[in-house]
Amino acid sequence: MFFTLIRLEFLKSVRSTSFAKSLLTNIFMGFLILLLLSYVVGLGLLLQVILDKVAPDQDHIALVNSFLIYFFLTEFLYRYFIQKLPVVELESLLHLPIGKSRIIQLLLTRSFISPLSIIAILLVGPFAIQVVAETYGAMGALMWVSTIALTSWTLHWFMLWFKQRFEDSLIGLAVIFLVLVLGAGSSYMGWFNLGEIMKPVFDYAMVSPLPWIGMLAVMILSYFLCYRFYVSNAYLEDLSEEEDVRFVNQSIGFFSRFGMAGELANVEWKLIIRHKKSRTFLIMTAFFLLYGMIFYDNPAYTTEDGFSALFIFVGVFITGIFMIQYGQLFLSWNSSNFDFYLNQKGGIEALVRGKYLLFLAISLICFLASVPYVYFGWHFLLIHLATFLFNVGILIHLITYLALWKPKPMDLNNGAMFNYEGIGAAQFLIVIPMMVGPYLIFLPFSLLFNDYAGLLALGVTGVLGLIGFKRLSKINIDRILANRYEISSSFRQEL
Amino acid sequence: MIQISQLKKQYKEAVVLDVPALEISRGECFGLVGNNGAGKTTLFRIILDLVRASAGSVTINGEDVSKSEEWKARTGAYLDEHMLLAYLTADEYFETLRVIYGLSAEDLRLHLDKFTEFFNDEVLGKKKYIRDLSKGNLKKVGIAAALMGDPEAVLLDEPFENLDPSSQIRLKKLILREKENSRVTFLISSHDLNHVTEICERIVLLEKGKVIRDLRERSEMMAELEAYFTG
Repeated sequence: MFFTLIRLEFLKSVRSTSFAKSLLTNIFMGFLILLLLSYVVGLGLLLQVILDKVAPDQDHIALVNSFLIYFFLTEFLYRYFIQKLPVVELESLLHLPIGKSRIIQLLLTRSFISPLSIIAILLVGPFAIQVVAETYGAMGALMWVSTIALTSWTLHWFMLWFKQRFEDSLIGLAVIFLVLVLGAGSSYMGWFNLGEIMKPVFDYAMVSPLPWIGMLAVMILSYFLCYRFYVSNAYLEDLSEEEDVRFVNQSIGFFSRFGMAGELANVEWKLIIRHKKSRTFLIMTAFFLLYGMIFYDNPAYTTEDGFSALFIFVGVFITGIFMIQYGQLFLSWNSSNFDFYLNQKGGIEALVRGKYLLFLAISLICFLASVPYVYFGWHFLLIHLATFLFNVGILIHLITYLALWKPKPMDLNNGAMFNYEGIGAAQFLIVIPMMVGPYLIFLPFSLLFNDYAGLLALGVTGVLGLIGFKRLSKINIDRILANRYEISSSFRQEL
Repeated sequence: MIQISQLKKQYKEAVVLDVPALEISRGECFGLVGNNGAGKTTLFRIILDLVRASAGSVTINGEDVSKSEEWKARTGAYLDEHMLLAYLTADEYFETLRVIYGLSAEDLRLHLDKFTEFFNDEVLGKKKYIRDLSKGNLKKVGIAAALMGDPEAVLLDEPFENLDPSSQIRLKKLILREKENSRVTFLISSHDLNHVTEICERIVLLEKGKVIRDLRERSEMMAELEAYFTG
């Protein structure tokens, strides 16, 4: 029985339409995962060398132990975003005469087989062999590593429960925010040292089996909590997404001034709010507002006069990330109701203009939200203004143009992380205009005159694009209309 | 009103639709019947310019459907869920259509009033997205949407499918009333021979993409169709 289910799972993933259609993307994804894992191994191997350089005189084991809690906080965050819930397959199995507990066991086991489960071991394993084993013996190293692995796996089960219970709810976001504050607050602000508080547990793990036994018990407990939760909620209504209608019913009155395009912008906004994938994109936009923190205050990018050319790229990202991410799947968002737009007079035109209107509004909000960066210097305001204008004037059309190359259908209710549905070669190529475009305008002026002349050129180009908005958007509208039959039939999955 | 000439659709070698000439006049209720794969939906999609014809053309009031968009304002259709915005509630969806068709709030209310009985209190005023409605209610939303904006022609694909018996009867009444009052041209495909023969004065039978019967005589329709389908 168990093997039948496993075989079904395997067939399901191999035969899914997206797998067959985007084999290339899947290979690329696999490659990417291997690459990331190899980075983790590399970091693990070099950990000792790095610590030698950074803190030559300190006890490295103690140092690692005091940092472990931050690793787990980070793990909590990336698991929240990446880890997939295994309930999607439930629907097709529930009515069969297979015990619920059996199905849930299978789903949970399957969720455990994931690269995420070995990251902790890959990271601290080499260090344990190189350093811990020397001082505490093989037994100590083994117990230390397995205690850490068990903690990581506890997080796995905990996250399965947590995401199912709280994802997309305000509580979930609040907890995530709390973890961020806890992590940052304790180290940056020096409120308290979280690392020191948790350190003894891992110190003790090297000399005594007690922490190991304790962690094992906690992991088993968390597995059973998770298992109990899933079994008792194994009904379609419980596991399907319950949405809070009040929260998602807001429409933006401002758009109604723009006629049919405005109405469709409003409809598109509802689409974004009411689907998981698009919602994640929106949340990521908020996170990307912090992107500047990495670069703007970094001494590596401080220059004598003017500013680092890299900031243009950062500015494009901060003010345009939503447009770039959402726009690269331009029509795929509407794949399940494309015929609706085709069937209205002027529907496609209004759809494209409505989307542009929405991109413009969100970019404007991002620009306004990025104003506090003036704390690092007034030129950041100018950079953001110029890149904002360039984004909404020019880049918007470039991205759409590339995104319209063979758009693919996709399911909007799957999560966004590591979900490459709807992605084809065109979506990878979008990076090129995004990276190169702004510099084509900026660099000549910045090299001939100075950086601010470059910014001015960038801004003026953007304004020109805005003035020619109608004509520029016509290019993409005409492209959709010319390819309407192909797009419509591929969205109906007839190909 | 709708003219089809030399229309052909083929996928590689396979010809799925081949209609040399067909004319549907204003105010006519045109029924389309045929077994699965006969080409009913393909014909509707070509009329609505959702699928490209391999050869030939469709004109609505003299306009070639693939060359202009003007006809869309006067043509309503509901073929499948792809024509709905399933992530809106029914009310929001009608509101969106109201803006698109440029109607007033009063127009919309008057229009929806016609469907009060048909909706049976299960569609409007519900805090439920269209995608969560039952198949029957989904169909009701689509049909009410297709009739919005005073269309001259309305295309419905299997309108009776998934509806409960009372709704089927109400829908028939609705169609007859619209035809009577506003001379709406209806194109209806259906597997339910009783219903189509009852409301349509003309029935075309498709087989493997070809028109093999064009029945206009009410009294003989049912017998002819039954003879054909029982084989």
